[in-house]
Amino acid sequence: MKRKILAALLASTMILSLVGCGGGDGAASTDNAAADAAPADDAAAPADDAAPADDAAPADDAAASTGGAGELTVWCWDPAFNLNAMYEAEKVYQKDHPDFKLNVVETPWDDIQTKITTAATSGDLSTLPDIFLMQDNAFQKNVISFPDVCADLTSSGIDFSQFAAGKTAYSVVDGKNYGVPFDNGAVVACYRTDYLEQAGLTVDDFTDITFDQYLENGKKVLDATGKPLISMQAGECDLIMMMMQSAGSSLFNEDGTANIVGNDTLKTVMETYKKLKDAGVLIEVNSWDEYVGSIVSGDVAGTINGCWIMASIQTAEDQSGNWAITNMPSLVGVSSATNYSNNGGSSWAVTTNCKDQALAADFLASTFAGSTELYDNILPSGALATWAPAGDSDAYGAPSDFFGGDAVSAKIVDFSTKVPSNITGVYYYEARNAVATAITNYINGADIDAEMQTAADTVNFNMGQ
Amino acid sequence: MTKVKKFGMYLFLCIVSFISVFPLYWMVSAATNKSAEVISGRLVPGTYFIQNLKNLMANQNIGRALGNSFKYSIILTVVSLVICSLAGYGFEIYHDKAKDVVMSIILLAMMVPFVATMIPLFQMVSKAGWLNTTIGFILPTISTPFLIMMFRQSARSFPHDIMEAARIDGLSELRIFFQMFMPTMKSTYAAAMTITFMNAWNSYLWPKVIMTDATSQTMPMVVANLTEGYVTDYGMLMLAVLICTLPTAIVFFCLQNAFAEGITGAVK
Amino acid sequence: MSKPSKKLTLSKKHNLTGWAFLAPGAILILIMSFIPMIRALLLSFQSGVGAQMKPCGIMNYTRMFKDTVFIQSIKNTFFYLIIQVPVMLIFALILASILNNKDLKFKGLFRTMIFLPCATSLVAYAIIFRSLFANNGLVNLVLVNLGILDQPYSFLTNTTSARIVIIIALLWRWTGYNMVFYLSGLQNIEYSVYEAAKIDGASAVQSFFRITIPLLKPTILLTAIMSTNGTLQLFDESVNLTSGGPANTSITMSHYIYDMSFKYVPNFGYSAAMSFLILILVAILAFLQMKVGDKRD
Repeated sequence: MKRKILAALLASTMILSLVGCGGGDGAASTDNAAADAAPADDAAAPADDAAPADDAAPADDAAASTGGAGELTVWCWDPAFNLNAMYEAEKVYQKDHPDFKLNVVETPWDDIQTKITTAATSGDLSTLPDIFLMQDNAFQKNVISFPDVCADLTSSGIDFSQFAAGKTAYSVVDGKNYGVPFDNGAVVACYRTDYLEQAGLTVDDFTDITFDQYLENGKKVLDATGKPLISMQAGECDLIMMMMQSAGSSLFNEDGTANIVGNDTLKTVMETYKKLKDAGVLIEVNSWDEYVGSIVSGDVAGTINGCWIMASIQTAEDQSGNWAITNMPSLVGVSSATNYSNNGGSSWAVTTNCKDQALAADFLASTFAGSTELYDNILPSGALATWAPAGDSDAYGAPSDFFGGDAVSAKIVDFSTKVPSNITGVYYYEARNAVATAITNYINGADIDAEMQTAADTVNFNMGQ
Repeated sequence: MTKVKKFGMYLFLCIVSFISVFPLYWMVSAATNKSAEVISGRLVPGTYFIQNLKNLMANQNIGRALGNSFKYSIILTVVSLVICSLAGYGFEIYHDKAKDVVMSIILLAMMVPFVATMIPLFQMVSKAGWLNTTIGFILPTISTPFLIMMFRQSARSFPHDIMEAARIDGLSELRIFFQMFMPTMKSTYAAAMTITFMNAWNSYLWPKVIMTDATSQTMPMVVANLTEGYVTDYGMLMLAVLICTLPTAIVFFCLQNAFAEGITGAVK
Repeated sequence: MSKPSKKLTLSKKHNLTGWAFLAPGAILILIMSFIPMIRALLLSFQSGVGAQMKPCGIMNYTRMFKDTVFIQSIKNTFFYLIIQVPVMLIFALILASILNNKDLKFKGLFRTMIFLPCATSLVAYAIIFRSLFANNGLVNLVLVNLGILDQPYSFLTNTTSARIVIIIALLWRWTGYNMVFYLSGLQNIEYSVYEAAKIDGASAVQSFFRITIPLLKPTILLTAIMSTNGTLQLFDESVNLTSGGPANTSITMSHYIYDMSFKYVPNFGYSAAMSFLILILVAILAFLQMKVGDKRD
């Protein structure tokens, strides 16, 4: 211990001299590094000299994480879900490329975003992995804010035409493909069939319906069971965005300007939401935990969300067989209304820091964009494909006991092909937050037009930098 | 003190302690329940602890994260305490106009939100090649205005006559610091150690920027990993959080007697 | 503690020794805080999306006064500051002087229990508070059963109650932390002073005001500046408990700056400018507190 402390002290004094004369030196070494096959090796070397106390031996690990034929580093965040998918993809690819190796680093999405922002803003991309998973909603923002980060995959040999069009749209900027679509965020409406039964209803009464019918059915369920049909997290506008997309409407126009004031679909959506809430068919909860809690503890008779919510629902093992899924209600009075929408989902991006972009592209092309085997293998974890050929596989037709013996996977893939595409926009999160504020105030009695105007002003303010 | 008064005091302390400890009790009991039970507000301990532990071990490399967290936090605490107490002592004992000015400038350093200086700091650390290293982790927080100020304030109660006596005895300034100041200020050191260790242990934003390797992840990063997926296993999460909380609680429990002993020693 | 005499005897050598003592700490702060700060200051005069920055003069500084969300966040932050900091410090002082009582039993246990909240990891405490104040949470359950409320109240989605929950959470988390400073400060006061006061017939309240507070003044100043600084940079509670809601009425300045940097289309120039406003506000408040509390004689 004592030696360590001394070493650390020594190191800290050496830092002073290093950093003191460092500006130019450091910059030069990173530049070299960027051109080098194994940049982390170079960059990490001074650390070893300066910090003998550090027994983490970072150089080795770092070197392993970049460059080198047949090895790729990947950042993604859910062990049960997309990490698992990457490991399965590695196995699939290794069959033809025995020397291939993946180094998957579990990194929460927030951290990936912070790391990308930090690296890109400081101009040092050498810290980025070869491939990372990106939330679809953040795709436009990142590609446009940091044009140097993501590699253009348009002519990399990946066949993008086999993915659902609404899905690829998230990762296309200026006609160029920057991402390989991964998981499905098609919206499902889930219902507790035992509660519906008490109100004399079945899931068929909720299929291909409008929100008006949804409201009427909801009142019946509320009368019979005392349970609302749906809970939503207050201050988050997930449902609002799903309703918007179900009619193919967005908060932005093609040219990037805000589409809030005079957006009749948005107005209808807000009014519908308020009607549901006023009738008690929809209850607002305080947080995500409470939202999931309300579902698994049977406080609500259902929910509407991206199909990934089914994984959370299934943690309530005692409710097996009492659940059913169908499509979502459609908006009333909107000509483009459909019963299909999307919420969440993510896509794989290749960074410009990747030394072997051809390998990365080939890996993605032969796995996530080319292997039904992969999609069959990851189906049990709940990862549903947006890659059309995968849906034809037998595995997708298997019935689910939890959802009353329904072939839910095939159903969802079918839903996902019908989702209208919309425009995320670069300022998606700003707009979303502004609309959330508007809806909160509107529910509390403010004037709808004035609130929409305020939301538009906020978004325009944010865009006018 | 009257009996009523005494009873009132204990009652008050018990209520405050209960409020302080209740959420922690909740955390412990949550770690023994299934995810769905935790989320539906079950307050009684369950029987799912072993299963949560198994899941957690399978899901995350807890041992490695704990090891990293201990390594970073201990090194940072030791180095930081020495450097900051030296500085605080220097500022107070030898204080003059110029040093007071320097002190107020240093205080400015803690007033800028970290978000603003993070990017330039990252640039420096990354250029020096210290990403994923202990040195990169500890460097920005070795010397903090807060600790310096804390030692400066407490050095104010360090009796000057003792110092003068020691000087007459021929002790060097550095020896006065190590042999007289340090033992006298035990309680300050204990408090500073608890707080530095706690901050180092719980620090999140900085490690999440500079630790890009799975092998250098810390305990709070592991906890964050568990909250990110589409499905959160709350039982497992609470167990991880419990494991993440224990070390700081233990450090405090062990060091708190040093607060009391602070007064004994070389003062008289 | 006769400072003037010290000044006279202080030789040049001692002066230099002092500089040598504080050099490592000061130089580290210079490199690790001031260089990034200066870079951030330069950045605050630039504007642009992501890494593409252009000089823009003082545009960022004028911009923030037109930003309704930012102005709201300033108001919220000061609301927390004015209510939470004094309440917390007074409460911590009271607890510390009770726990400093020599005759008290189970002292260590009480101390640990009251300190524990600030050792709790943020994730846990956020989940716990959210669940306590949920619609079907424990707080609502108790209030409804006691007949204080007719039906559950949605604490986190109403402006005033959301802010109060944040203040309660802050009190819960940081009171014990500040108490530790006071305890450690009290240890450096000789107990005989209290005994002498007792013999002179001073009540507990009197010795609290006449002895404890004056002698703890340096520590109180330290905690006051720390808490002010911490509250003005408040981030965790806003993000994790209320997500700044409802309708931005509980968002703090640091939360907004973070969103501006990492959630929204990043505009670091603007973020830096807002950060410097925080710096100025904290500096002014700290200066005022020092003026009031840091008289040397």
